[in-house]
Amino acid sequence: MADDGSGPEALDESTENAALGNALAAEHAAVWGYGVVGAALGGDARQQAAGAESAHRDVRDQVSALLTGRQAEVVDAEGAYALPFPVLSEVDAAALGAVLEDGVTAAWVRVLDQAAERSTRELAVGVLSAAEVRAVGWRVAAGQPSVTRPFPGLPDA
Amino acid sequence: MSVTPSSPPPGFSRRTLLAASAAGLALLAAGCSSPPADEREKVTSEQADELAAQVAVQEALVSAFAAAGAADPALAAEVAELAGQADAQLTRLRAASPGGSASASAPAAGAPAGPDARAWLRGQVAAAATSHATASVDQSGARAALLGSIAAGLRGQDGRLA
Repeated sequence: MADDGSGPEALDESTENAALGNALAAEHAAVWGYGVVGAALGGDARQQAAGAESAHRDVRDQVSALLTGRQAEVVDAEGAYALPFPVLSEVDAAALGAVLEDGVTAAWVRVLDQAAERSTRELAVGVLSAAEVRAVGWRVAAGQPSVTRPFPGLPDA
Repeated sequence: MSVTPSSPPPGFSRRTLLAASAAGLALLAAGCSSPPADEREKVTSEQADELAAQVAVQEALVSAFAAAGAADPALAAEVAELAGQADAQLTRLRAASPGGSASASAPAAGAPAGPDARAWLRGQVAAAATSHATASVDQSGARAALLGSIAAGLRGQDGRLA
């Protein structure tokens, strides 16, 4: 039963599952994208990408199991994805890492907005924070002038 | 920019990932996700109190940036952008709070002078992030999203201050 305190009709398992499905799609894309990121990096940066990919695999599996347990729709990964820009250098790879984390962050903020269960919000805020910390690291590596965000995942006011 | 499926599979358009997220967030921004906005934005008195408490947490953090900057002028210049972001977060939190205005007072921050100010400030940022993250779990809807987003942003600042 949903434990949302703002009213029994406001948020329910269907709104939550839809948002989780969206987050699952974002995690699939991140796992795929980090293959591209890692291939363009060397040394410690490649290890950083591998760690990020592993983190996204873990979240992907967790969300997939959660939705399966609820007999909700489980979105499959695509065979391939179109990159937002060519990845021709380590700077490009780092910028792609930031884009991947931005996508995940937006999806998990959406989960927070739509979740009915406290446990789901706990999951969401943890994943969201971890993604933003990785995003900051990639923005630094990409040489972006501004590397932190006041409202990760939220649209501008 | 986004990472999208390379070809449109059955039942799944090219706009996966960020496009889907952006669409959802547009709804979130407009306050018009599936249930009616006025229904979703009901705030229990307990949630209102908790949100007011988070406004006070953020006010204390903004004060902490000022105190750290006063204690270490070089640090002040270095963290000016982070301080500005903390201030923007406070503005948006106040707007989301049912009271809508500043809380009674934020505790005075006492930053140590010199190089220790950076570590002290980092501790303040981390503590505020933890507080907002914890509070987000007890909120719902747009308020949970806002608090969670701010918590994540402060986690990013924490890493930057490391």
